[in-house]
Parts: sequence; structure tokens; C-alpha cells
Amino acid sequence: MTVSITSYLLVALILFCVGLYGALTKRNAVVVLLSIELMLNAVNINLVAFSKYGLYPSVSGQIFTLFSMTVAAAEVALGLAILIAFYRNKATVNVDEMDEMKR
Amino acid sequence: MDVKDIFSYNWSYLLPEFIILGFATVLSLLDLFAGKRLGKQVIGWLSLLGVVLAAVFVFVNVNTLDKPYSYMADMIRIDNYGNAFKLLFLAGTAFALLLSLSYLKQREVEHTGEYYYLLLTGLLGAMVMASSADLITLFVGLELLSLSSYVLVGLRKKSLQSNESAFKYVVSGSIATAVTLFGMSYVYGLTGTTHVYEISTKLAEAGMAGYQFLVYVSFAFLAVGLAFKISAAPNHMWAPDVYQGAPTPVTAFLAVVSKAAGFALLFRLLLISFFNVTDGSSRFFFDHGSLYLGLMAAASMIIGNTMALRQTNVKRMMAYSGIAQAGYLLVPFVPPTTLFFSEVIFYLFGYLLVSFGAFAVIMVVSREQGTEDLKGFAGLYHRSPSLAIAMSIFLLSLAGIPITAGFFGKFYLFMSALAQENYWLSAIMIITSVVSYYYYFGIIRQMYMRPGSSEASLYVPKGIWTFILVMAVATVFFGAFPGLVTDYIQAHFNPSFDFGNMLPPSFR
Repeated sequence: MTVSITSYLLVALILFCVGLYGALTKRNAVVVLLSIELMLNAVNINLVAFSKYGLYPSVSGQIFTLFSMTVAAAEVALGLAILIAFYRNKATVNVDEMDEMKR
Repeated sequence: MDVKDIFSYNWSYLLPEFIILGFATVLSLLDLFAGKRLGKQVIGWLSLLGVVLAAVFVFVNVNTLDKPYSYMADMIRIDNYGNAFKLLFLAGTAFALLLSLSYLKQREVEHTGEYYYLLLTGLLGAMVMASSADLITLFVGLELLSLSSYVLVGLRKKSLQSNESAFKYVVSGSIATAVTLFGMSYVYGLTGTTHVYEISTKLAEAGMAGYQFLVYVSFAFLAVGLAFKISAAPNHMWAPDVYQGAPTPVTAFLAVVSKAAGFALLFRLLLISFFNVTDGSSRFFFDHGSLYLGLMAAASMIIGNTMALRQTNVKRMMAYSGIAQAGYLLVPFVPPTTLFFSEVIFYLFGYLLVSFGAFAVIMVVSREQGTEDLKGFAGLYHRSPSLAIAMSIFLLSLAGIPITAGFFGKFYLFMSALAQENYWLSAIMIITSVVSYYYYFGIIRQMYMRPGSSEASLYVPKGIWTFILVMAVATVFFGAFPGLVTDYIQAHFNPSFDFGNMLPPSFR
């Protein structure tokens, strides 16, 4: 039994939307970073699914996934490092309290 | 596609990138092992040396290259389009380094070594973005620039503003990255390749085969995601906070180098990938795709120029002004003509001179006043006439008043919109430009007509004073003789009107 490409794309799309929703609404900065990770992983599902069931199946999608995973890891590590620096100054990880600059 | 032995390439065309990479590596090691013993500024001057050396080799490439040179199936593609942008990046980074040498004397940034080599890695990312024709390399270049600038923004570790703006930058930047990548994944799915020129033909086939909706979706995702780097409308909200919290030389780097790199990537990726897509009667990119970019341009101009009116922090105001400038720069892309390349390069060149000049003045004034408020500029004319006159020149150029480089830049963009009969876009451009006079002249009013808190003459360090003078003179000079630059661009980068030989002959 094979699963059709539509299911993969649907899962990826739902994951992407959940991630976007979380990144825009959550108050805890760590959860925001986590939601961003969901969005990036949705992309990976897309790429891997396309590299097997796309219009022109090829291996470059999987190679792309390796790059995007590496970069996503670096990005979130950096986000956490900056968050730690912020926490040292203000002792909170609530994004609502990041209002030092006026709108 | 022919696959060649790795040793059979002529690697000399990649010398600029290798030099920047080498300097960034060696300087990071030097800082690690001998950072304490070296003088404070040695690493800064060495980075400047690296940037200048790289610029020399880009000039050599410009003169020796007659057709695009491709490494590893266009993973890296050395062409005139990339070279022109690379010269802008190198000049911008050199200016940022010069400002930093003075800025870092304030001791707000503890890790000066990191500061310098992160500027270099950011520059390397920008250079890769401008000279690649493969989705994977373009993405890695984009991220190299982004990650370096996230750290640079947050490098004043003790400052709450700096931390906060860095975190906002990381979050909004990562969301934009995810959106871009999502668009790229659909492009890959429809074409089965990451090579931009192959994508172009395959995407057209996919469009004809009934996947038009997915083609449009991928275009929208790419445009929205990439709008982040150029701080254009749907993705502009990060700019004011990040510009305000970042160290001033880094703000200037973001305003010029990062933005120009975003344009280099956006233009190449969208133009080439969607060039051949058609629904049988009309070409998607030239009829609908560029219209979407026109809406982005209009929204950026309106939002940027109206929001800038109510700012009291001068760096925030410059951020909104930068959003508006991104809008102007998208205008010649609706739809692109054979002249758009030289227009964009000339505008970015003028913007480079003016932004760095203006940020240098802002740096001096806000350091002396201890505030970045607009009121800090009050009475500047009485305290340092030369600085006030230079700042007036920069502001006039940003506003697009004649006899400055900014005027001709804007004039060319405006004429291109008129030539395409985009009357609505030219009207928005004119109206929002008039609105922008109000806030640019707000600073001029402060400098000349408001009494300052003191009348004592302002101390301006010699190096910065010379830098500001050179920028001001260059702004006026290239405003009086814009032909010097446009002719150079036309002769060296765009002789056959193919966007700096970005378009292969089959794309007509």
C-alpha cells in the first residue's frame, strides 16, 4: 500500500500552519522558537515527499533537507543564546514584556 | 549539464570569496590565541585590508570576464550581475568597518574581535547570494548573512534594547526563512531540480500541465519570504525595532548591505525562475507576478513614509525611511525592462553613500548627546556648521531633491515607471515622496532653527569627520555628474542589455 503525495503535502501544510500560529501567538519565547522549528520541519517533509513522489523525482530534495536541518539547528541555537542574554538582563522569557522600544 | 573534474575549474574567479573566507578564519583564530596581546583595533584594520583586497580582485574579474563562468552546475555563477552587487557589498562593509573603528571605542561591545569577523562572514553570505544560481547555495548564503547579522545586532550584551531587538530579529527572520523555504520546496516539487535555469523551463512545463495554482502559490511564498531581507511591506515590522537596538554601524550595514543582498537574491530568483511561465496567452511574470511586486512597492512606500512622520527616535525614523526606499527600489521591477539593472545599481550606489554618511552623523551626535532623540540635533548648526551642512546634504539626497545622487536615482526609477505606463505607481511614488519631505525637513529644522541645550562647539573625531566629508562631497559630485556612474555600469556590467548577462541568449 502506498500513501499518495497529497497526504504528505497536507501533513506538511498543517504542520506549517500550526507552527506559524504558535510563533505568532505564544507568549513563552522558548515555545515561539519551538514553533519556528515546526515550520522548518514542515518544509523538510515537503522536500522529502517531493524527492520521491514529485513531478520529477530526484535526490536533490533530500540533499536540500540536510542543509535546511543544519541551518535550522544553528538558527534556533542562536535564538536560545540571545534569549539567555536577554534573561540575564530582565529575568523573564515572556515575549509580551519585550516592550523596551516604543511603537 | 556537464560535470567537470574539480581541478579543471579556473578557481581564480572565486578569489574575492576566498579572500573574505580566509580573512574571517584567520582573524577568528588570531583573536582566539592572541586577542589579549594585540591592540584593540588591529583586527579591525586587518578586516578592512581583506575587504579592500577582495574589491581589487572583483575589479580584476570585471575586466577579464567576458561571459558568465559557472562552478559545479551554477552552484556558484560569476557574472556581471553578481560582480556589480559584490562591489556594492564590499564598499558597504568597508564603510561599516570604518565607522566601527570609531564606534567600538565606546566600549559598549566587549567582544570586538567577534564583531569584526562576523561582519566579514555576513559579507561572504551576501556575496554568495549575489552570485549563485542554485536554490541550495542561495539559501545557505542567505542564512550565513542572516545568522551573522542576528549576532551583530545583539552584540551589546549588557544592553536590554540590544538583546530585545536581536531576539525580535531572530524570530521574525526565522519565520521569513521558513516561508521562503516553503516556497522553494514547492518550486522543487514541480521541477525536480534546484538549478534556477533548469527550474525556469521545467516550471513553465508544470504551468502548462495544469499545476498553475501551485506555481502561483510558490511565487507568493517566495515573494513574501524574501521581502523580509529588503524590509518591504508584508514583512517590514522588524525593521524599526532592530534598527533602533543595533549598534549604529551595524544598523548602517543592515540598511545597505543586507538590503542590497536581498534585492540581488529576489531579482535573480524570481525573474529567472518564473521567466518562462505562461498560460498560453499572457506571460505570468510580466503580467501578474510583477503586479504583485508593484503592490508590495506601493504598500512599502505608503507605510514607510507615513509611519516615519510620527517617530521621535532618529534611528527608528531611518528604519521607516528604509522601508520606503525598498518600495522605490521595487518600482522598476514592475515589469522589468532592459534598463532596470543599471537603474537599481545606481540607486543603491547613491543610497550607499547617503546612508553611511547619515548614520555617521547620527552616531557622532547621539554619542555626544547621550540620546538618539530627534531633539539631540537641535542647534547643531551653531555647534558644528560643517556637520550640519553635511547632514542636510544627506537628508536632501534621501528626500530626492536635485543636485544630489538620490535625486537622479529616484528620477530614473520614476521615469521607468512612466515608460511602463504604471501611472498609479508613479503617482504613489510622487505623493509619498512629498510626504517624506516633512520628516526629512524635521531634522533640518531642528539643526538650524531650534536652540540647542548648549552652544559649545561639538567635538568630531578626525577620522569620522573625513569620512562624512568624503560622503557628502561624493553625494553632490555624483548628483552633478550621474552619467559617470551610469555609463560605467552600462559599459562594464550591462553592455548587451541582458541584466548583467544574467539572462542566457535563449531567454528572449
